Amino acid sequence: MSKPSPDVYEQGKGMDAHNSVMRGIRARKDETYDPREPTRVWLDEDNTPSGVYDSLTIILNTGGCRWARAGGCTMCGYVAESVEGGSVSHEDLMAQIDACLDHEAENAEEPAGLIKIYTSGSFLDEREVPAETRQAIAETFADRDRIVVESLPDFVEQPKIEDFTTQGLETDIAVGLETATDRVRKDCVNKYFEFAEFERAAADAREVGAGVKAYLLMKPPFLSESEATTDMKRSVRKCADVEGCHTVSMNPCNVQRHTMVEDLYHGDGYRPPWLWSVAEVLESTADEDIIVVSDPVGHGSDRGAHNCGECDDRVQRAIKDFDLRQDPSVFEQVSCDCERTWEAVTEREKSYSMPLAR
Amino acid sequence: MTDYFEVHDRDGAARVGELRLSDSLRTPAVSDDVLSDAGSLWPADRDVPEGDESALTVLPHRAFPGGTADEVQEAFAVDYPDVDYPSAAVVSPDTAADATDANADAYVLSNAQAIAGHAQAFVAAVVRTREAIPPDTALYLPGVATPANAATLAYAGIDLVDTDRAVVKGTQGKYLTTDGEQFLEDLEELPCACPACQRSIKEFDRGDCVDHNVNALRAALGTVRQRIRRGRLRDYIEGQARHEQWLTAVFRRLDQQYSYLEQRTPVLRRAEITSATEDAMRRVEIQRFAERVTQRYRCRFDNPLVIVPCSAAKPYSESQSHGQYHDAIQFRGHTLSMTSPIGVVPQELELTYPAQHYDSVVTGHWSATEKEFVADVLEAYLQRNDYPRVIAHVPGEGYRDICERVEDSLGLDFEYTVEDHPTTTESLANLASTLSDELKYGKRERQHNTLRAVADYQFGEGAGDALFEDLQIGSRYPKLRALDGDGEQLATLVAQYGVLSLTLAGARRWVESDAPTKRVEIDNFVPHGSVLAPGIVDASEDIRVGDEVVIEGPQAFAVGRAAMSGPEMVRSSRGIASSVRHVEER
Ligand code: SF4
Ligand SMILES: [Zn+2]
Ligand SMILES: [Zn+2]
Repeated sequence: MSKPSPDVYEQGKGMDAHNSVMRGIRARKDETYDPREPTRVWLDEDNTPSGVYDSLTIILNTGGCRWARAGGCTMCGYVAESVEGGSVSHEDLMAQIDACLDHEAENAEEPAGLIKIYTSGSFLDEREVPAETRQAIAETFADRDRIVVESLPDFVEQPKIEDFTTQGLETDIAVGLETATDRVRKDCVNKYFEFAEFERAAADAREVGAGVKAYLLMKPPFLSESEATTDMKRSVRKCADVEGCHTVSMNPCNVQRHTMVEDLYHGDGYRPPWLWSVAEVLESTADEDIIVVSDPVGHGSDRGAHNCGECDDRVQRAIKDFDLRQDPSVFEQVSCDCERTWEAVTEREKSYSMPLAR
Repeated sequence: MTDYFEVHDRDGAARVGELRLSDSLRTPAVSDDVLSDAGSLWPADRDVPEGDESALTVLPHRAFPGGTADEVQEAFAVDYPDVDYPSAAVVSPDTAADATDANADAYVLSNAQAIAGHAQAFVAAVVRTREAIPPDTALYLPGVATPANAATLAYAGIDLVDTDRAVVKGTQGKYLTTDGEQFLEDLEELPCACPACQRSIKEFDRGDCVDHNVNALRAALGTVRQRIRRGRLRDYIEGQARHEQWLTAVFRRLDQQYSYLEQRTPVLRRAEITSATEDAMRRVEIQRFAERVTQRYRCRFDNPLVIVPCSAAKPYSESQSHGQYHDAIQFRGHTLSMTSPIGVVPQELELTYPAQHYDSVVTGHWSATEKEFVADVLEAYLQRNDYPRVIAHVPGEGYRDICERVEDSLGLDFEYTVEDHPTTTESLANLASTLSDELKYGKRERQHNTLRAVADYQFGEGAGDALFEDLQIGSRYPKLRALDGDGEQLATLVAQYGVLSLTLAGARRWVESDAPTKRVEIDNFVPHGSVLAPGIVDASEDIRVGDEVVIEGPQAFAVGRAAMSGPEMVRSSRGIASSVRHVEER
């Protein structure tokens, strides 16, 4: 009696296939973007270890993620927002920051206490954002309370973080951990680093007085609803045990353009998670000593986390409420007939029979 | 080696099988209670489970749902272990062929959700998978079965389903029946007598709806199993599948996968064929009969041809109308019955399956498709068989149109003898007088021609002459016996199916003749009563269920009737492959 061979997992054959397929999929798009405009900017409010803040979220256009150019993550379409030529100069990046400040000035009553900068890649990767630019941005926001910058763990180094902490900013590194399960991160998400690397980054950040915010992905492709839920509960708990990781943002996978997830979705092989599943994870991990928030993008639509269509807005509101208050009782107040369907799906769906309900 | 699944009855691609667990399960069936899933390898590495005979263990798997790229399938494909308990391997149509090394008893199709509802994709996926996996393994289509689609799934070749879709629909307040689904709110009464439905519609909630849906699915599968055992699933499908468009499209598209269905369709059956729709014309049995009549059969009479309409009673010669034609013809003409959906039936083949086994809805109206089909068959028939005269003793409706079309197309002149209806005194008198100058053929000629015609039909062009060079007849029609010049019996005409069953002497002649022989090569043993699949070394590709076969091995020479197709005999490791009628040791 032989065991199923772990060869695939070890040889990186799967990663090669994922990358090759993703490169093909990404080649289908042909948009390019103005390097002087940020990809997106918006105002919101966020729960942090020091309370709820008004926030300014910036998605910088840095030329896109290098990993995505190799193929990259199966659900990530952000690379569609890259610029021609592949990299963006210091001047252009600063022009994007100025555009964001203008946006804030026009739309907010007062400057946000919390700045969040994402790049569709790694802000701390100096091939994306040069050291000069990083330092200039740190100075620009020196008058704020907190800053979050996104990076893959391999680029997390203490001197880079200190650019921000020395400005007196409470600094957090947002890491797209996706899951605490290495196997799922590698085979389902196609992300190359391991949980140990995340732990290392968190420890380094902590040593220089910064924190880590882990981004988790609920229901990557090839997992059933219950497998996805189990993976998230476990991941939240594992993150809670990592010193320096004080917040988890657990986000349901949505169907982005030009991704493997989109091909599966079109091929009737993928459904984003139920909002009930999101609620269940939040509810069941509420007792963990970590802030857990979730922002179901595109909730209620076929391409985002959704329930039956009747209750989606109500459940989404409860999730948002939970984000700010961390009180699991918010979920007791929402119910719908479709919970029964969701229970049946959770109980019965296998990765070989999904999606059992749309 | 498949140890835990065996096929007992076949009806086209559908089968009644037995999952041989400690409590055995008759398939097609829901697998809920017998399945034990060892889990997905996507989220975690897993050990091969201990397993036992009480359950069908789904081996640790990496499923590829609809839309998974080929490259990803190749890179992540699992090498399934060969285990000694009942096991199932999760496959996609693309990976099925490579997964058969593990000798699993069942295969789980991982893109079921992507193909259910899409006839073309469904047929392509099921045919591809079914052809890739051994015939004596079960094919499990998870997560999609409903009472409405269960029969069509089985018809396509699915053996195992589950209650997942029925349950999920129930939770959504959708009430499922074999004719589709309805919202609970739209039901004025509960159209079912199952235990869940033993309450008033007002008290009936979604929990009850789940129970009812599961009951309805189980009942639908019971009907399917019984239909398969009786050889009558197709008749059922032609009516029942019409309630959902995609199901109708599935069986029609399967008709286009002719070789898939033909290989799996028996050459004879006890059951009747009900022809109530035009789809019946595309059935393998009908197509095969038309093909053999126009490509294997040859008329050996020198008399004029008399085309007559079919009769509702079978065989035709026992019907009142054909009795009247017979009295008018008096052995002066060769009778060819024209019928939808069979085409044309020469008098020698009136017993031959399915000529006396179909029942059609008689309205006197012919559709354009029916006319076209019958005209094509008649035209091909007349191209192959030359007659001094063609007399069409047919009524106006339809029959006449067809005759005229064929006359035109072949440049022939038919003589028409019917005034208004073929059985009126006047019409019959016309028929008699038209033939009055023709010579009669004798009983001997009639009997010889019948046996030779059946041999041609059954064994191939020219087989009648090759097998029955020096023919003597024993017994009386319809139970004719063929003897050689020395009086040794070669074959008997089986009246029930209109085919020959051979003796050992007949089988030897068949082997020695130029007629293509269907052979089953066996191991070193002497078979008694039947030959089981594991004893088979090789078998002719073209053997079909119900065919006469010669069984040969180092120790035995035998003749029998096939219970499996040739390819199934070769690829199966379980089950009865052929009956053995006569055997001699070598
Ligand atoms: S998820 Fe992050 S690492 Fe992965 S491709 Fe997208 S931007 Fe790159
Ligand atoms: Zn709902
Ligand atoms: Zn009922």
